Amino acid sequence: MPTATQTLSERFDPKMLAALEGLDFKARYVMEGFLSGLHDSPFHGFSVEFSDYRNYQPGDDLRHLDWRLYARSDRLCIKRYMQETNARFYIVCDTSASMRYQGGAAWGSKLECAKVLAAALTWFLLKQNDAAGMVTLSGEREVPEFIRPSQRPNQFGLMLRQLESLRATGGACLSRLLQDTIRLLHRRSVILFFSDLLEPSDDVAMGFKQLRFHGHEVIIFQVLDRDETEFPFTESRLFEDLETGERRMVTPAAARESYLARFNAFMDAHRELFRSLEMTHCVVRTDENPWRALALFLEERKRLK
Amino acid sequence: MPFSFLNPWFWLGALVVAAPIWLHLRRKRETNVVEFAALRFLDDQPEPRRSPLRLRDVVLFALRVLALLLVLAAFAWPYLRGADTAPIKESRVYILDNTLSHQANDGFTRDRDRVLSEVSKGASDIQMAVIELTSAPRVVVSFGENREAAKQKLKALEPSFQRGSYLAAFRQANSLLGNSLGEQKRIILLGDNQENQWTEQADTPAFLRNVQVDLPKITALALPNLSLSEPRVQRIFLGDKSLVNFTVKLSHAGEAKTADIVLRANEQVIFNRAVELENQPETILLQAQWEADPATWLRGEATVDGTPDALAGDNRVFFSLAPVIEGKVALLAQSPYLRLALSPEVMRGQWATRVLEPTKLAAELAGTEDADVLVVESNYLQSGDARKLLWRYVTNGRGVVLLVNRVTPSISGCLRELGFEAEGTVSTEKGSAERFQFVYSNHPIFHPFLSPDYGSLMDVKVSKYVQLKGSQAMPLIFSEKGAGLFFQGTKFPGKLFVAAFGLDREHTSWPIDQTFIPFLDLTLQTARAEDPAPTTFEPGEISKIQLPAGLAVREAVLRDERRVLIRAPVEQGRAQVRMPDKPGVYTLSYDDGTQVEKMFSVNPSPKESRLTYVDAPEALKMWRVNLPPGTGKPGAPAAWGKMSLSGILQQRWWWWMVMGGLAALMLEMALADAKVRQAR
Repeated sequence: MPTATQTLSERFDPKMLAALEGLDFKARYVMEGFLSGLHDSPFHGFSVEFSDYRNYQPGDDLRHLDWRLYARSDRLCIKRYMQETNARFYIVCDTSASMRYQGGAAWGSKLECAKVLAAALTWFLLKQNDAAGMVTLSGEREVPEFIRPSQRPNQFGLMLRQLESLRATGGACLSRLLQDTIRLLHRRSVILFFSDLLEPSDDVAMGFKQLRFHGHEVIIFQVLDRDETEFPFTESRLFEDLETGERRMVTPAAARESYLARFNAFMDAHRELFRSLEMTHCVVRTDENPWRALALFLEERKRLK
Repeated sequence: MPFSFLNPWFWLGALVVAAPIWLHLRRKRETNVVEFAALRFLDDQPEPRRSPLRLRDVVLFALRVLALLLVLAAFAWPYLRGADTAPIKESRVYILDNTLSHQANDGFTRDRDRVLSEVSKGASDIQMAVIELTSAPRVVVSFGENREAAKQKLKALEPSFQRGSYLAAFRQANSLLGNSLGEQKRIILLGDNQENQWTEQADTPAFLRNVQVDLPKITALALPNLSLSEPRVQRIFLGDKSLVNFTVKLSHAGEAKTADIVLRANEQVIFNRAVELENQPETILLQAQWEADPATWLRGEATVDGTPDALAGDNRVFFSLAPVIEGKVALLAQSPYLRLALSPEVMRGQWATRVLEPTKLAAELAGTEDADVLVVESNYLQSGDARKLLWRYVTNGRGVVLLVNRVTPSISGCLRELGFEAEGTVSTEKGSAERFQFVYSNHPIFHPFLSPDYGSLMDVKVSKYVQLKGSQAMPLIFSEKGAGLFFQGTKFPGKLFVAAFGLDREHTSWPIDQTFIPFLDLTLQTARAEDPAPTTFEPGEISKIQLPAGLAVREAVLRDERRVLIRAPVEQGRAQVRMPDKPGVYTLSYDDGTQVEKMFSVNPSPKESRLTYVDAPEALKMWRVNLPPGTGKPGAPAAWGKMSLSGILQQRWWWWMVMGGLAALMLEMALADAKVRQAR
């Protein structure tokens, strides 16, 4: 039960987040709660900054006159500003069928979690006058969808609609998504990559290496479910792969140890890969507060500046 | 042994078995499978060895299903079909033509033997019925009838002399097939395809639906035949002689050159002569007269013999004639010729004439004894009493012979009431009198005059006559100028004959003509109120005989020469008698008496003598219901032969089914209990 003294971040309720309808609301809920928990406003450092003066010329907007300087020096001068950043951010989201999984403790499926995070970050970036774009695969034929990065106010709505239309229906498509991203992005950009990375392929590692080779900064949000990280099943069940339909009869008591060992090895391998490529790797669990991922991103944002 | 169910729709309940199975398996599938994203880390786990749809305990499941099915089967009431309840593939109706024409070349006997053979060796999956085509088609063998009994009935069939209707037989066959069980329905006509049978009733609404019709193959479009038909016999008084006038039609088709005609009456040969047929019309009217005792019944027959002749059944015709009963004539006429002709010297024994006095008509009107026929001249109709008397005769069903020798306004008014319009008088100049131009020779009055023995009506001259137009009368004689001279009125129940002229020399030469006395006698005979019931019939025809009023009779008895054929009960003065199938002369008497009251002659229809045939009758096409393409084939499944309900109910298979179901349930419970205990 939340109390009045709690901050919004402390009041985070996964059920409430799940109950909210519309990605817009979810993104605002996440982002505003996250921002209210910070001591320093992120807007403070990233706003447009003063650069220098120049003499007033007829036709200049009077709003930009420095009246204080005029009072002090009796000189009419116009303030000049400098746009603080021109970074390009790309949201790249995996829509393979494995992203459909939602465990019992999760507030949403992995794809829903990724979509909320992506929307929140988009909102945040556009507020900071950063250009945001998107690369996804859509439809059964997995055609790449590309949204050109922009700072325009309507960009948020455009990306929101695209995010809402994503469905976790495809097969293993991670390597293709990476290849398409490499092909479509020509300038150095910051890539926010949302995936569970549960696609065993050398091509995936190669794709990340190529991204790095092209000079892109990549922040990987690996979205996982508690069931995948901890394997909490107790009863013997028939397990069916979401992507391949393959089936295994699993007795969790006997299989858990082996599973966790193999899973952790998988995670370690990825961590090593991303470390070697100097990529930021953030594991997001669908049953946890997503702010941890946002905080990580802000830190990384500062580093990139 | 074939197995069937009384209530097969109860098997729909088997769907109940499927429902819990489906629900059970569906639930298993939903709860037992986890769709997982990281299965790649579990690929060392075993693959499922059994289908998730597999039942846990097949034996228990089978027992439960078996119990349910047995109970369902019990409700469906199973029974064993006997050997006589084979599926019916075809329902077949034979129409056996037993009309006279089919006797030609033994056609009937041949087809009867064919039906007999097919009924004997017919497959058990074919229903058969046989309809005998006679004047009233009847079902001889019905569907499902025992074959031995059917054979006996067919063997008993004899050739008949009747005329029947193909249409009636086909309708009856169609009606039978409508209630039959066979998938295919078929009518097989075993007949001769006589042309006039197909053409006379072609115009009828279509009624044959989904019925196959097999027609006989004809070998020739026509067969040679000699036949006698339409015998007519009348008594004619000529002078003091009582003659019998006999006519009969001789029809010949084929190559016969001569025909021997023999006429017998009251067991005497009247006529025995060969008739030349070459270059003669197809129908020849033969006529004979002979003297006969007017007080006795006359019965006789005429036969024809010749070759080639395919049909012998129509070579003989029978006739009969009642004895003369003296009639009464009331005469109100001045014509001396008429008075003489009706005098006892001329008409003794035939007609008793009472001459009415014009001054005593009131007394006549007051009396109650009317004559059979009133002969009156129109000039007496100016008297009101004479008009009343005339009116009484025509309205009481008596006969009237009116001679229009004068027309006045009052007479015109009277004629108008009788249905005639007088339009003036025609008088020809001396020497230019008109003769009879046309005489309706088929009328009973004039039919004997076809023979020249009674003189020629064409010699009669009329010099003065009244132009009459009869709105409700039929002209029987026309003058040379087309004026009607002699009429038969149709307005009244009594017979009214009207001559447009008087019978004296001022009007006509007829009274001194040879034909006058026979004409007068025949006219009075025709005008006399007689029993309207006919005395000539076709074989099998039904007659309603009206008995004289006031006669206490229980039954009418029809006899041939040797024995009693029919005893028909009399109800309300009427008796219904079906004439025998065989042509001949039959007598009618009342109760146990032997006195002959009536005599009937039964002769075949002349239509049966026309032996012309068609191969593909148009009528059959019109009788068929034209169905849209694709709907012509009956789609009904093969039905099973009837088995009585009591027979089905006597079989107790349902009881064993119930017991079996209960046994399966008990076994299932025992097994389930054992498994539970084992699990504990």
